[in-house]
Amino acid sequence: MMIHEGLANRILLWAITIAGLIVIYAPPLYLLAVSFNPALQPGLPRLSDLSLTWYAALPKERALVGALQQSLIIATVTAVMATGMSLLAALAYFELRAQRTAWFLTVILPMFVPGVIQGLALSAVFTRSGIKASSLTVIAGHLLWAMPFAFIVILTSFAAVRRSYLVAAADLGATRWRQFVDITLPLIRPGLVSAFIFSFLLSLNEFTRAFYLAGRQNTLPVVLFGKMNSGASPVIYAMSGAIFLASVACVALIAIRSIWPGAGKRSPR
Amino acid sequence: MAISIQIDRVSREYGPVKALDDVTLDIRAGEFFTLLGSSGCGKSSLLKLIGGFDRQTSGRVAFDGKDVGNLPANRRPVNTVFQSLALFPHMSVAQNVGYGLRLRGLSGSTLETRISGALDLVELSGFGQRDVNLLSGGQRQRVALARALVMEPGILLLDEPLTGLDERLRQQMRDEFGRLHKRTGATFILVTHNQDEALSLSDRMAVMHRGRIEQVDAPARFFEAPANAFVARFVGIDTLLRPERIVATGNHAEATIAGQTLPVRVEGPADLAASVVAIRPDRLFLAPQGMPPALTLMVVGTTFRGLHRDLKLAFSDGQTLVIAIEADADIGQLSAGQQVSVGLKPDAAVLISSAGLPPA
Repeated sequence: MMIHEGLANRILLWAITIAGLIVIYAPPLYLLAVSFNPALQPGLPRLSDLSLTWYAALPKERALVGALQQSLIIATVTAVMATGMSLLAALAYFELRAQRTAWFLTVILPMFVPGVIQGLALSAVFTRSGIKASSLTVIAGHLLWAMPFAFIVILTSFAAVRRSYLVAAADLGATRWRQFVDITLPLIRPGLVSAFIFSFLLSLNEFTRAFYLAGRQNTLPVVLFGKMNSGASPVIYAMSGAIFLASVACVALIAIRSIWPGAGKRSPR
Repeated sequence: MAISIQIDRVSREYGPVKALDDVTLDIRAGEFFTLLGSSGCGKSSLLKLIGGFDRQTSGRVAFDGKDVGNLPANRRPVNTVFQSLALFPHMSVAQNVGYGLRLRGLSGSTLETRISGALDLVELSGFGQRDVNLLSGGQRQRVALARALVMEPGILLLDEPLTGLDERLRQQMRDEFGRLHKRTGATFILVTHNQDEALSLSDRMAVMHRGRIEQVDAPARFFEAPANAFVARFVGIDTLLRPERIVATGNHAEATIAGQTLPVRVEGPADLAASVVAIRPDRLFLAPQGMPPALTLMVVGTTFRGLHRDLKLAFSDGQTLVIAIEADADIGQLSAGQQVSVGLKPDAAVLISSAGLPPA
């Protein structure tokens, strides 16, 4: 039976919810508003002043665009590699019995090493062994950062894979490879997708390791931080706003697909 | 084509634990064979060896005389209905059933014909597009059965497939197994702890205990001539009496229990130390007045058992036996301590090995 809370309780619940939403969404929305302000000083624009000046200036900001490109490339490569390696690590975990816990801890250990220390350590090792800082060194750093998370996400999805399914597949004639392709892979697909997105975002956001390891081309967070300190041009707000809008668009796309799951998926019977 | 199975001196050890201890067994082609035993007796271990999901520590497993020790599960002509069913949750009913055939390279209309044929066989016609996760227990059971049968295996393994179903469904599926065995002609091997399933389906069955086979026989023989005291107890012959004297002539003997002598058929050693007298509860009756009684015993008590009543009687030395009598039989007032006369039908008492009985 539904229990009707009192009016006071309802008001309280709504107030907490709204306060929470404001705390989460007000800062990026403020940033977004600022990005439409043509004035040089950051502040909320008047409705009549709204303009796309800074967005129009965006492509001319070579440093920012280059940094964004660099960040996207690094994030994509990191996400692909972290997902692939975590899948292998998770498969190993699935097959291991006695040494499972040791393996698990070994893989997630880098998660607990502070970025400042790991970045410094990697940088020192790379310098000493004569490896030049480049996007590859950043990817190496980001891989260490993102892989433990991707591993845990994929491992969680392995809960859907029961050993009996694999035995049944073998019973029906499937080799180990076909068991993997036909049974394991489809069952853990949601985990793979999440791991990919997760590691992409972790890499895109990462500052500390990139700060130590980047070569001539810095990543976006490093460049944005630098611009902030050296008297920012409002273009960085436009850049932030654009990224925020792109994220919202992605989430909206996923939401739409989950509301109409038929769209674009399996053909109707 | 049905395939015969030869199991020759097979053992499977897990460290110090012997799941199978020197098992030798021949299963004929096309037979419905049951491995019966309580949990931990090794019946599932034996099934795993036949399916190729495990390897024996020693001994030899052969199909039609050919050693299959090096043949992995995916290349054996064996299919299994697993206890957990293990239906693939991300596939429809038709995809589950057709999976093995797709691996063999079948596709298109050939594949679809075979799938719908298999679904017809288990009376699930038209269920092909259903989601396996939304089926009832009995339907899931049938999908698992169809998935194995569509492969037209020479050997079908049934690993406790009826455990977890309710009683009505259980009986329905049990009959289904019998029907499918006749239709397909394959060698069926059922693993179960349920005696009722084993007795009603099997051509022959094996009772297993502690990794060993205690007896292999047609179901009826387990009651006529249980191999030893363990098997007798297992199939429900609970009255096992220690005789004080045995006078044997050929395969007939007279056994004396607490001073009363009764005729017994000899199916084991006729030796005081190694024999017990097994008495079938359905071959005893309360002797009417005037008939010379075979035994005179003291009433201990009665137990209501639904379709019949158990009457427990004691010898003067304290050993007891149980008679099954009709629930509504007019036996008058029986009070504990009263003496009653008991008659024996032919073959009521059998002299068997006392192996498996704790020492008195």
